[in-house]
Amino acid sequence: MLDLRAADVNSASIARFTLGRTMDDIRRPVICVRDLHKAYSVPEREAGLAASLRSLWRRQTREVTAVERISFDVAPGEIVGFLGPNGAGKTTTLKMLAGLLHPTSGEVDVLGFTPWRREPAYLRQMTLVMGQRNQLVWDIPVADSYELNRVIYAIPDDQYRRTLDELADLLELDPLLTKPVRNLSLGERMKCELAGALLHRPRVLFLDEPTLGLDVTAQRRIRAFIADYATRHDATVLLTSHYMADVEALAERVIVIHHGALRFDGPLDGLIERFSPFKTLTLDFEGAPGDLGRFGEVIEAADGHAVVRVRKADAAAATARLLAELPVIDLSVADPPVDEVIDRVFSDEAAGAADEAIEVAS
Amino acid sequence: MRTLRLLWVHLRLGALNELQYRGNLVAQMLQSLISLAASLLGLGIVFSKTDALGGWGPYELLAILGVYFLVGGISQLVVQPSLSRFMEDIRLGAFDFTLTKPVDAQMLASIKQIEVWKLVDVAIGAGVLGVALAGLGEGVGPARAAAFGLTLLAGVAIVYSFLLLLATCAFWFVRVDNILVIFQSMYEAGRWPIGIYPPWLRLSLTFLVPIGFAITVPASGLVGRLSGDTLALAVALGVALPLVARWFWRRGLRRYSGASA
Repeated sequence: MLDLRAADVNSASIARFTLGRTMDDIRRPVICVRDLHKAYSVPEREAGLAASLRSLWRRQTREVTAVERISFDVAPGEIVGFLGPNGAGKTTTLKMLAGLLHPTSGEVDVLGFTPWRREPAYLRQMTLVMGQRNQLVWDIPVADSYELNRVIYAIPDDQYRRTLDELADLLELDPLLTKPVRNLSLGERMKCELAGALLHRPRVLFLDEPTLGLDVTAQRRIRAFIADYATRHDATVLLTSHYMADVEALAERVIVIHHGALRFDGPLDGLIERFSPFKTLTLDFEGAPGDLGRFGEVIEAADGHAVVRVRKADAAAATARLLAELPVIDLSVADPPVDEVIDRVFSDEAAGAADEAIEVAS
Repeated sequence: MRTLRLLWVHLRLGALNELQYRGNLVAQMLQSLISLAASLLGLGIVFSKTDALGGWGPYELLAILGVYFLVGGISQLVVQPSLSRFMEDIRLGAFDFTLTKPVDAQMLASIKQIEVWKLVDVAIGAGVLGVALAGLGEGVGPARAAAFGLTLLAGVAIVYSFLLLLATCAFWFVRVDNILVIFQSMYEAGRWPIGIYPPWLRLSLTFLVPIGFAITVPASGLVGRLSGDTLALAVALGVALPLVARWFWRRGLRRYSGASA
């Protein structure tokens, strides 16, 4: 597999300049992960009563690797999307960064701290949000849960009030604050969870599936809020999701892990570049399509409209030929949807094939 | 200090929220009063037949009943609900959030859930103790008051540590919901001085489940029948058991975070 990391650091800093930052902003990384490795030993037994009884005597365990020697850096203010299918090791990595889990080996430095020492000075500066679990107290009004956080984090009164006002404003929380959590819809609850997790103004946010199960509008809402918070407070965000839209909207950079190993680290465009050696040509024309197979793989063909997939290297030639040979009204050339690309990355064989395709193409 | 502030906020919020459900208050008061009435009735029957039970006179037994309500009330007000919640959190994965907070996880897990109405039991305990003191007549001198205060503190520390030890098992065996219920039913035995029980039960109630130290010992201190040895033992246990529980908790945490593997 190619190592794109050196190149990615460059493109990340270029992106930074284009956002209007200066040299001073390129400070040392906020998150620094080196050879992080986590293996669990899980009990293993065969099905059946006899086997169960045997396992009482002697436990058979099997080593399962959840995260395999991954390394990456995250710069201050960066929003990084962490992608991977279920069980890829995203949550395990996030838990190690948040100090909940000790790694089997490897090093992590976040804001100068080793997370799993769980020093209060570190915990006060970070937050963890998990989409499928809530930390607000179920039976009491949202505002009361916030009050508890205020005391736990020892947030000064005026700062607390300002932060709460700001968050309530951005997320339109006011009507929700007096309701018990159990009376909120999923989307409302997530908004409240997020606000509660940000009351102490953390500098590092670990968000595990923050939009899980939400409808499209609510998802968009949460996304916009996260982006806004990050710019306002110069916060660094590491976000996992399997909604591609989250990552597309928020992250300039993605890290893809699969079976615990790091498969890609770089800008989203680079991911498409790397794993999809195809372009999609969408055509509108007059009359019947005829045989389009000679241009590329036909995805869709009807009277007046067709979609054809061609190898990247052939895209220019195919476009020229299409324009010459068909009464084309409109033609567009696009990368395939990111979802499709991600699917490809996650299916090992296809990814291997894509690697080969790139090598052949270049 | 932080602990007290947090405890206070939990109490205040708990009270504010519970005040919406007055039915609950009535039910809880009824339950506590029935329990009190049953105990008093028991005492009445005993003392209609005899003047002393295992050497304890009526007002001395009343003192035991007071301590029983007081310590039980404190335990059910904070410790038991919080630790039940902790075990539930472990099962559901919400304990992670306790660990991300910049305060001691054991402290937070121990005060997280308040059962406000159990303040009724605390109040009943104080009231019964007051009546017992009045009945005992002779003024309780500073020595007895000190012995009572010291052993009561030790007793609460012992009960807390014991419950924490039980709850900490959740780190290893995820499903241990009923472990605290067992304690509660054993606790009932503390209404009576443990001296009246047969030796095997007395020993169990002293060292296996340390209810004797939580109830009989402080009450003995108050009525002036506490030996120096017992006092020393109670104080020693009151210091040692929290340390042991703390050590065990840390081992559990290490296991939870995969540091021990």
